[in-house]
Amino acid sequence: MSFLKFFKKSIDKKSFEQLLADKEKQDSSEQPQSKETIKRSLHENLKKIREAFGNSSDIVTREIRIGRQGEIRVGIIYTDGLINSEANHNFVMESLMFELRRNEVDLKDLAGLTLLNYIKEMVLTVGSIEDVHDFNVITNAVLSGKVVLLFDGYEQGFAVEMKGGKERGVQETTTETTIRGPREGFTENLRVNTSLIRRKIKDHRLWIESKKVGKVTKTEVSIMYIKGIVREEVVQEVRSRIEQIDIDGILESGYIEELIQDDSYTPFPTIYNTERPDIVAGHLLEGRVAILVDGTPFVLTVPSIFVQFLQSPEDYYQRADISSLIRFLRFFGFFTALLAPSLYVAITTFHQEMLPTQLLISLAAQREGVPFPAFIEAFLMEIMLEILREAGLRMPRAIGQAVSIVGTLVVGTAAVDAGIVSAAMVIVVAFTAISSFMVSSYDLAITVRMLRFVFMGLAASFGLFGIILGLVALVLHLSSLRSFGVPYLSPMAPFTLADQKDVFIRLPRRLLIFRPRVFSSQQNTKREKSLFQNENQRKKK
Amino acid sequence: MKFKKMLLFAVVLLLLSGCWNRRELNTIAIQVGLGIDKEGDQYVVTSQIVNPSQIAMLMSKGDKTPVMTYQEKGHTIIEAIRRMTTAVPRRIYSSHLRILVIGEELAKEGIGEVLDLLSRDHEMRTDFYITVAKDAKAGDILKVLTALEDIPANQLFNSLELSDKQWALTISVTLDQLLSDLSSEGIEVKLTGISVEGNQQVGETKANYEQIDPEAKLKFKGIALFHQDRLIGWLDEQQSRGLHYIIGKVHRTIEEISCKNDGKISIDIFSAKSQLKTKMHKGNPVGEVHIEAQGNVADVQCKNLTITNTKTIRKIEKKTEEKIKQEVEKVLSNVQQNYRVDAFGFGKALYRDDYKNWKKIKKHWKETFTELPIKTTVDVKIRRTGTINNPPLNKLED
Repeated sequence: MSFLKFFKKSIDKKSFEQLLADKEKQDSSEQPQSKETIKRSLHENLKKIREAFGNSSDIVTREIRIGRQGEIRVGIIYTDGLINSEANHNFVMESLMFELRRNEVDLKDLAGLTLLNYIKEMVLTVGSIEDVHDFNVITNAVLSGKVVLLFDGYEQGFAVEMKGGKERGVQETTTETTIRGPREGFTENLRVNTSLIRRKIKDHRLWIESKKVGKVTKTEVSIMYIKGIVREEVVQEVRSRIEQIDIDGILESGYIEELIQDDSYTPFPTIYNTERPDIVAGHLLEGRVAILVDGTPFVLTVPSIFVQFLQSPEDYYQRADISSLIRFLRFFGFFTALLAPSLYVAITTFHQEMLPTQLLISLAAQREGVPFPAFIEAFLMEIMLEILREAGLRMPRAIGQAVSIVGTLVVGTAAVDAGIVSAAMVIVVAFTAISSFMVSSYDLAITVRMLRFVFMGLAASFGLFGIILGLVALVLHLSSLRSFGVPYLSPMAPFTLADQKDVFIRLPRRLLIFRPRVFSSQQNTKREKSLFQNENQRKKK
Repeated sequence: MKFKKMLLFAVVLLLLSGCWNRRELNTIAIQVGLGIDKEGDQYVVTSQIVNPSQIAMLMSKGDKTPVMTYQEKGHTIIEAIRRMTTAVPRRIYSSHLRILVIGEELAKEGIGEVLDLLSRDHEMRTDFYITVAKDAKAGDILKVLTALEDIPANQLFNSLELSDKQWALTISVTLDQLLSDLSSEGIEVKLTGISVEGNQQVGETKANYEQIDPEAKLKFKGIALFHQDRLIGWLDEQQSRGLHYIIGKVHRTIEEISCKNDGKISIDIFSAKSQLKTKMHKGNPVGEVHIEAQGNVADVQCKNLTITNTKTIRKIEKKTEEKIKQEVEKVLSNVQQNYRVDAFGFGKALYRDDYKNWKKIKKHWKETFTELPIKTTVDVKIRRTGTINNPPLNKLED
């Protein structure tokens, strides 16, 4: 307690004003310098750029001469590794150095164009060229994979789009595997990711908005939605929440997720993340917004509801009856993963009368000689399970397997043989662990793992009464959550009858004519009819 | 700050609760059988407690008996049970009680006081069977070890349940049924008797189940008739079945009828329904029992019987009807004349049908019942004759 007090005081001592001042100082240092246009002298410009990057070895600044006599000096600046150097050689360098000389053009008479316009319009055989005048724009362009051309004697340059370099290709997802369904997964490249979605939804109403987030990392964040299906308020909300982000770096979509979620103090995920383009496409078609972050294969979709974390894309690829059964099983798995150890603790320590006599006697026999109360026993085993799981994750893959074998087989059996835990407890814990793998979303599985301990504590102190109390509190908490304006428990609470077709069961596709009401805009709820048809109908009315 | 205080309270509450009725499985003694006798003005309570480590297959070393009994005296039953803690290291846990045995002496004095504790205690479930020890003390019954089921109380429970379904000579009564019969007007309590056959001394040791034919066996025997909460007498096997026919509790039983010559035919009765009515006839109550039974031919020992003939079947039906009627009438007259208690519920039937008249004769129902004229009708149908037609004996004789 005294330690806490001391800690608190030490914080208080630092005056609030001082903190503010510190922050301002930081801010000013991070702010981009005021506009600084480039000079006429190429030499000066290049020197300034080199200085700005601290002579970093990967920034290439090269001077070349073009023209018949090499009368014009050109500076080429790019980041090695970020650009496609082959294309740079072929379409920029070769055009400038070779074509210009071979054609023997008179640089004084350029078909009525200025030199720069001539180069831009008739020499450079590349797609996107921007005019640049400002040093900050130049540095940004260099860092985002463009080749910048500066001309001696001109206060203007070009930024040529030349993105390239080594990247991971489209591979099979490892976190979300299905038996049936597309294998491809997102990559770290935003452009590849948007193209993967574009390939699935070939419609001009699939809109993408992009924004740079992160003062230092300047990470590109895109939001994607289908105009006409999505609710405009949701898009507006996503836009404004992303705009409000004030942070120096975004390294993963998890940063964005934490910064834009509705409620930070909940164990439940209110934003869905996935590595699979087919899931994102499905969500977009239901009227959700996807948030793509450059540099991570994990794409966020909002709004998200509770049941969707227990659904799998495969539910829609398999036949409806099988999917419904498996979905039921998944819900069952969710509850056993959450409650199995606590139910065991509650029943064996408080409500022995609920067990069949034979089972009670057999359980009692197993507990003979076990030194710990059932709760401690369960707690130890669960902790051990979590340690094994986490250790297996962080280990190199080959060792990870060995860890799990040692953990499960050796430690488990040895613990039972030594009489430290009862065999029934090992069964319960193993069953819990396996059920928790049934929860398809990793985020929800973590939540379940956390809450399991809370429920075990409640069960150990209040029995079934405590478990019920915990469940009531859980439902209350869940119904208080919202994800971008959509109640987290919908369509159960508030109850929407039409949406029940795809919650606990999945009805055959023929019956799923309507989009989920909670996500899509009110006008376009029919899946089958095209958006245009609907618009025409509205006009007629 | 408010939130912090709330959190603190919540944590303290959690810690202070102290898990007041938490009990670990290895701190309870699972009581499966309870026997109550009376000795002087004190109750003698015998508790049969499971020894779990001997029951479980893997752990069992076989060096101890699967159950243990503890016996204590006390002026009340709860006192005696609590006194057991001086000898039992664990808390006696009675939710899994399977069988309650009441000593014959105690039953004669009245079981009302015993039932009060059992129904008042929240730990007791009401699904255990209640029996009366015949010619024995309840404590002795619980001390006999059994072979097929490790736990004697379990053996009693299962065999009572089975014989009730297959043989109809025992009556399985749970606590709630007993209390309901006890508090109803115009019906009396009936319980199954249980006794030890063989050598009690050997029965109490492991030697008992180490033999193929145990020296001491527990057997259900007869039915105890009560007047209010007091035992007044026993019905033998034959009469027990008659009683079961009347109260409609025959699930399945075997009836034997004689052939013309020597030999018998067994009829497997698999369904029997009874209608029990009491009507007022010229100001006097008249009882009516109608029994409808269905059966299969199970065993034919007669010679020269063509069982394929429908006439034969009719004859067999007729004979079976007579047999059942005889049994029923015998038990009726026996109970009416010797015990003078309405064990069948004729009073209850009148109470239901004609409450006004019941109120009038309620006070002297005991006398009225002994004089009650009872009309018995029996209707038997033979459904099947088994997998063979005429008995193979017929051919042997030829």
